[in-house]
Amino acid sequence: MSDGKLRPEDDGRDFASAAWSIPSYLLAGMILYGGAGMLLSRWTGVVAFTPIGLILGVALAVYLVYRKYGS
Amino acid sequence: MNTLTVLASGASGASEDVFTPPGLELFDYPPLIAGVSWFTKPVLLALLSTLIVVIFCWSAFAKPKLVPRGVQNVGEMGYMFVRDQVARPFLGKDADRWMGLLLSIFFMVWIWNLMGVIPIIQFPVASHIAFPIVLAISIYVLKIYLGIKHQGPIGYFKNMMFPPGLPKPIYVLLAPIEFLSNLIIAPFTHAVRLFANMFAGHIILAFFSLVGFWFVFEHLTPLGVGLGVVGVVMTIAMTAFEMFIQFLQAFLFAMLAAMYIGNSLHADH
Amino acid sequence: MNTAATLLAAEGNNPLIPHAYELVVGIFSFAVVLIVVGRILTPRIQKTLADRTDAIEGGIKKAEDAQAEAQSVLNQYRDKLQEARQEAARLRDEAREQGAQIKAEFQEEAKAEAQRIIAAAHAQIEADKQQALTQLRAEIGRLSTDLAGRIVGESLEDEARQRRIVDRFLAELENDAAVR
Repeated sequence: MSDGKLRPEDDGRDFASAAWSIPSYLLAGMILYGGAGMLLSRWTGVVAFTPIGLILGVALAVYLVYRKYGS
Repeated sequence: MNTLTVLASGASGASEDVFTPPGLELFDYPPLIAGVSWFTKPVLLALLSTLIVVIFCWSAFAKPKLVPRGVQNVGEMGYMFVRDQVARPFLGKDADRWMGLLLSIFFMVWIWNLMGVIPIIQFPVASHIAFPIVLAISIYVLKIYLGIKHQGPIGYFKNMMFPPGLPKPIYVLLAPIEFLSNLIIAPFTHAVRLFANMFAGHIILAFFSLVGFWFVFEHLTPLGVGLGVVGVVMTIAMTAFEMFIQFLQAFLFAMLAAMYIGNSLHADH
Repeated sequence: MNTAATLLAAEGNNPLIPHAYELVVGIFSFAVVLIVVGRILTPRIQKTLADRTDAIEGGIKKAEDAQAEAQSVLNQYRDKLQEARQEAARLRDEAREQGAQIKAEFQEEAKAEAQRIIAAAHAQIEADKQQALTQLRAEIGRLSTDLAGRIVGESLEDEARQRRIVDRFLAELENDAAVR
């Protein structure tokens, strides 16, 4: 929307894009950072890294969705 | 038919009187013709679906009249639905160019799914993951091709992974999420969503029909008959619900395809 | 063949792993549908829909044209009517103006005639008055001489003397009149 071209279908398109991208982003965040946390746990033996990674991943994904689609 | 095979397999088990709920064996089919290992029921149904879609569309659209009549009316309803609900919201003025693809996808997936509730056939083609995968991969390849063509090879990945307006250091953390989400999870869920819905729907239908069949016809007991009636009623209700889900999934599959194409044609932010 | 069968059986257990032959059949099916429905049939129905839109829009356009024509004819009539009205008003004004002008001219003429008549009457009166005056003067002279002769009892000797006396008398008379 930043390019200033306002088309009538943009509203619906943005809404649907957001709705269908959110699960994808959440999953990506969890897999990526949860996985990284798990690897760290394996290496260091500190179990806490896995949940920290998971939470970080979800938080980053939510932040990304908010910045991209939140008005 | 499924119930029969499952029943047979259940009956050949340890005990005659034990009710065995249907499982993954619902989706395993032997070759229809001995020796031709690739020619199974799902394959036959996939080919049949293709034939149905082609024949239907041919009779509707081959010689279209200005004043529509008969099958053309029905076909046009499908066309209008895909155009107004799928193509135009996501593609805008480019909608007409992609209608051929989206219409093909929508009709094909819907017929695949409908196979799940047609008596005797009763097997949703999309519950074998190979079929959704073919469509999802085609859309995935098209999406990347269009993205590179319309936004440039660098521009496409830059627009995808580095959405503007975020603080610089955070890109290091967010770009991998974007990459994973757009290039791996999105196509994966695109195929799996359709597959899983049809898979689960088929199991549920098979379960309730088996309950009804088992307790009403096979092992009629005063205690079990109530359960059997519930099973029959639920089979009818779930068939209606499943028809709705089948349509919805066909619509969603086409809609997501349109969304991916639209996002590749112009970066969305 | 045997190994293939066992492989297929092994694959069959995991629903998330696609069967190779189903992939091939899927690609074939999709390609057929895409070519027949997407490439051949969709353009046809799109063309028909576009033609239909054109036909409908053409009908609307025709109706609009007819309406516009009717409107323009109506406008023409209105213009003509307006013109006629203006013409009539103009003629009426002209007539009124002319009438006024004629009336004014007549008034002018009548006034001039009246003036002329009055002037003539004045002149006549003046002339009559002069004549009367002259006559009166001579008459008075004669009467006075007669009178004087009668009073004095004798006729005065010479003409010159008489005239002088009369003149003097008249002058006195006039002076008297002037003083009075």
